Amino acid sequence: MNPGQYTTEDIERVELVVGMEVHVELATASKMFSRAPNPACAGSGGMDEPEPNSLVDPVVLALPGALPVMNRAAVEMSMRVGLALGCRIAAQSRWDRKSYFYPDLPKAYQISQYDRPLCEGGVVEVPAVDARGVFDLSGERTRVRVLRAHLEEDAGKLLHELPGGGGGGKLDGSIVDLNRAGTPLLEIVTEPDFRSAAECVAFARLLRLTCRFLGVTEGVMQRGHMRFEPNINCRLVLRDGREVATPIVEIKNLNSFRALGETIEYELREQPGRWVEDGRELGAGTKTTRGWDAGRGVTVVQREKEDAHDYRYFPDPDLPEVCVDEAWCERVRAGVPELPLARMDRYAAEAGVNGAEAAALVEDRETAQLYDAIVEALVGMGRARADVARAAANLLLQQGFKLANERGVAVGALGFSAAQAAGIVGLRLDGDIAAAAVEVLLVECCEDSAAVPREVAAGLGLLVVRDAAQLEAWCDEVIAAQPEVADQVRRGKVQAVGRLIGQVMARSGGTADAKEAREMLLRKLAGA
Amino acid sequence: MNARRIAAGVRDGSRSATAVVRETLDKINAAHDRLGAFLAVFEDHALERAADIDARQARSEPLGPLAGVPIAVKDNICYAHGTTTCASRMLERYHSPFTATALQRLEDAGAIVVGKTNLDEFGMGSSCEHSAFGPTRNPWDETRVPGGSSGGSAAAVAAGLVPIAMGSDTGGSIRQPAAFCGVVGLKPTYGRVSRYGLVAYASSLDQIGPIAGTIEDCALALSVMQGVDPHDATSADRPGDHLCAHAGSETTSADQQSGGSLAGLVLGVPTLSRGPHNDADAQAVFDSTVGTLERAGAEVREIRLPHADHAVAAYYVIATAEAGSNLARYDGVRYGFRAELPRDATLEAMYTRTRTEGFGREVQRRIMLGTHVLTSGYHDAYYLTALKARRRIAEDFAAAFSAGCDAVCTPTTPGPAFALGAKLSNPLSMYAEDVYTVGASLAGLPAVSVPAGVVESAGARLPIGLQLIGRAWGEARLIDAAQRVVNVLHPEGFELPPRAL
Repeated sequence: MNPGQYTTEDIERVELVVGMEVHVELATASKMFSRAPNPACAGSGGMDEPEPNSLVDPVVLALPGALPVMNRAAVEMSMRVGLALGCRIAAQSRWDRKSYFYPDLPKAYQISQYDRPLCEGGVVEVPAVDARGVFDLSGERTRVRVLRAHLEEDAGKLLHELPGGGGGGKLDGSIVDLNRAGTPLLEIVTEPDFRSAAECVAFARLLRLTCRFLGVTEGVMQRGHMRFEPNINCRLVLRDGREVATPIVEIKNLNSFRALGETIEYELREQPGRWVEDGRELGAGTKTTRGWDAGRGVTVVQREKEDAHDYRYFPDPDLPEVCVDEAWCERVRAGVPELPLARMDRYAAEAGVNGAEAAALVEDRETAQLYDAIVEALVGMGRARADVARAAANLLLQQGFKLANERGVAVGALGFSAAQAAGIVGLRLDGDIAAAAVEVLLVECCEDSAAVPREVAAGLGLLVVRDAAQLEAWCDEVIAAQPEVADQVRRGKVQAVGRLIGQVMARSGGTADAKEAREMLLRKLAGA
Repeated sequence: MNARRIAAGVRDGSRSATAVVRETLDKINAAHDRLGAFLAVFEDHALERAADIDARQARSEPLGPLAGVPIAVKDNICYAHGTTTCASRMLERYHSPFTATALQRLEDAGAIVVGKTNLDEFGMGSSCEHSAFGPTRNPWDETRVPGGSSGGSAAAVAAGLVPIAMGSDTGGSIRQPAAFCGVVGLKPTYGRVSRYGLVAYASSLDQIGPIAGTIEDCALALSVMQGVDPHDATSADRPGDHLCAHAGSETTSADQQSGGSLAGLVLGVPTLSRGPHNDADAQAVFDSTVGTLERAGAEVREIRLPHADHAVAAYYVIATAEAGSNLARYDGVRYGFRAELPRDATLEAMYTRTRTEGFGREVQRRIMLGTHVLTSGYHDAYYLTALKARRRIAEDFAAAFSAGCDAVCTPTTPGPAFALGAKLSNPLSMYAEDVYTVGASLAGLPAVSVPAGVVESAGARLPIGLQLIGRAWGEARLIDAAQRVVNVLHPEGFELPPRAL
């Protein structure tokens, strides 16, 4: 159309269309094609930022005579992700060279997979998330088709922090840091199946959870372990009945869920107006690349397609094709555990946890496995799954996470065993210990993985006293000591009994059964 | 100079490695101004290594099959001593922090690197004239080229300076200079020898290989260099190939007396071998050589390689496509030459000036050609078509071998060594030099050039090479065939250039 032909008033409805590209830095020990250490390696999360150019070797530096050799672990990690996304694993995939000059790209080509990627054709079901990132497990799910997932190597970084540094194509004062160069990068590309920013964020969150669960990345967003590149355009339904599509805008390198959501919302607001102004519609050569300026809350043009590169892809002659036979694929498949979403659904069903609680239980694989092991141990003790699941989940969600936070470790690394946790849950379910004793016992079990919870409870005098005469004596003492409160209860203010129960518990040193104390107190005070 | 005999002498104590190296260094120095074969000579380093080997001999420690053998190394093979320049201004002061796997294996077997030899810049050329540091001259006639790109290595062996030199062959860069200099040059099957540390020209074609005065020394060097390397994903092991069987045995007097009968040897001679592109005298040498072999009992079959006419074109598309990509890393950012620039110069200016000033004209020509053939819009017409031709060429060879040929037999080059400067202004005539050698390169097959005979030209005697191409991984059989052929052609040994040392 001609610019000026329409105004925003002529647009009846705007529909968002987004496809996602997600880059995941894989946490292998060494880089994609060399033996140099990988900064995205699992366990290096707590490390200080390594010195620039300390994680390099002749291959990373692209020294004359150096050759790339494929890291099989990176391929297996990618297969795991591909299988988790429902993709087919290609029997033969190939490495291609993508050529362009830039100081952070040592060989002046990136080894990638162009037309024969490792993984193709998957589907993922994605639940909605709320603004805080909590999954709604009971609501409708978005079906997202995964076009492909391919492996490539990451580039290095340019640092412009030196005095006189400033980018703008000038070399003065900048340094090239190749620590990240050669890090294995899995690029996941979806079909344009997203219709809202929230759906994109939900997919991104689920993907992070899944990749962490599969052990392929630590998923530390601030470190760029995951980067999102949404391809955004809009379908405009006009009042005159026409429908037009705006040109695709690709946003580069977003490394937070918030930026992802905000960028898409921004483009959704801006694209109709842009179309009214310039009249450009979707078509060959109309795609532009933008970056997100978080400070100003706007996207900024980085590249028009007209001056896009010709990357001159061709198969890398240094690397044989990747051949995945049935046996290899099955071996990897066997190592893919029950995935986070399936687990969350199961936990919601069996333990009645909500989305946030379920997400906390699958935040890492060890916690989820610990939960399952506690439930299995309790079931093994002859208890019904329905009776124990919620209590097992609570142990981890309350006392477990509290201790883990205090100590700065994962729940699974606190030191207590599933059997011990099951013992504690069992004591509590049977009313053999008071609520307050749960944490005390858990702390004891963290110190000594051989300790038996019932013995520890007995030793510490935490077992609930079943002696009715003793309980009656404590109740009588408390009623005598607090006549005004007792009178209030007698006059019908039942909630005042809580203060008396508290006194009973204090006198008993926590060993009285609060429920029985309540009943006895109410009986005594009702009789008057 | 025979490597096997030197090593035997050093091992049994009848010769000192130090004396061998001292003598070698003297010869190199004496011939230097005349030939320009070496870009660097490592006197102290080589003598230290020799002293170490002598000390180990004195302590009766085990010594390798190349103990004390001086070798020269083409300067596109990385060595963690001295510079690795690729005869390019781009890498004039570049020191490699590591040694190429193949070279490391030679050193581990006791070989002593005495220096680095001249080449066409980054291996791109057929005359050794495209060196940033001046040409090498042919020991047979110093007004002529030694061939290329491994010209310095071939000249050093021909002049008797070293018994073995390492070369690299992408489209003929070992075989053609070996033919021009009257020595033996062996290009192994692609993947036989690790390319780790060989500065890449065209990765799917490059192979390191030996140039030597005898077939057995070539076989000896290859048997040490070969084998899979975890640093090169395209290297492979083929157990069952016992190259040393031929490397260790000297030609017996019985063989010589019988004239080395070739009964049972089937040689395929492609029709292309008798083309109009051949120099008349060289053609005569080839024809009479084939006649001699036939009379000695070889079965000579005329064969057709229907796609051979496309080999040179396909080679220059594929090789330049890979070269353009491989040489993109020389950008002035991390190492090597960087153009002098004002402080406010742009990044693009730095790239452009560095690469324009750092690369010679032939390298720039091939980078531009390679960039062009991969550019979208041309990629399919050039690059994919060349890949198809490459497959057909390989199938042609496979058909010849499955029909029973032990080796395919061609001239190594269309003619003898040409005069310095004769082809510099016409790149296409220089590329045509490769007509017989690129086929085996594209098909990944092993091929060896051995001296066939000598022609007289303008008062100079000039050697002519015979190329034998074997089946993939069939080096043992190829070396055996070549040795039998040489026994028939040269019962008294190869003719040496006039001032050989």
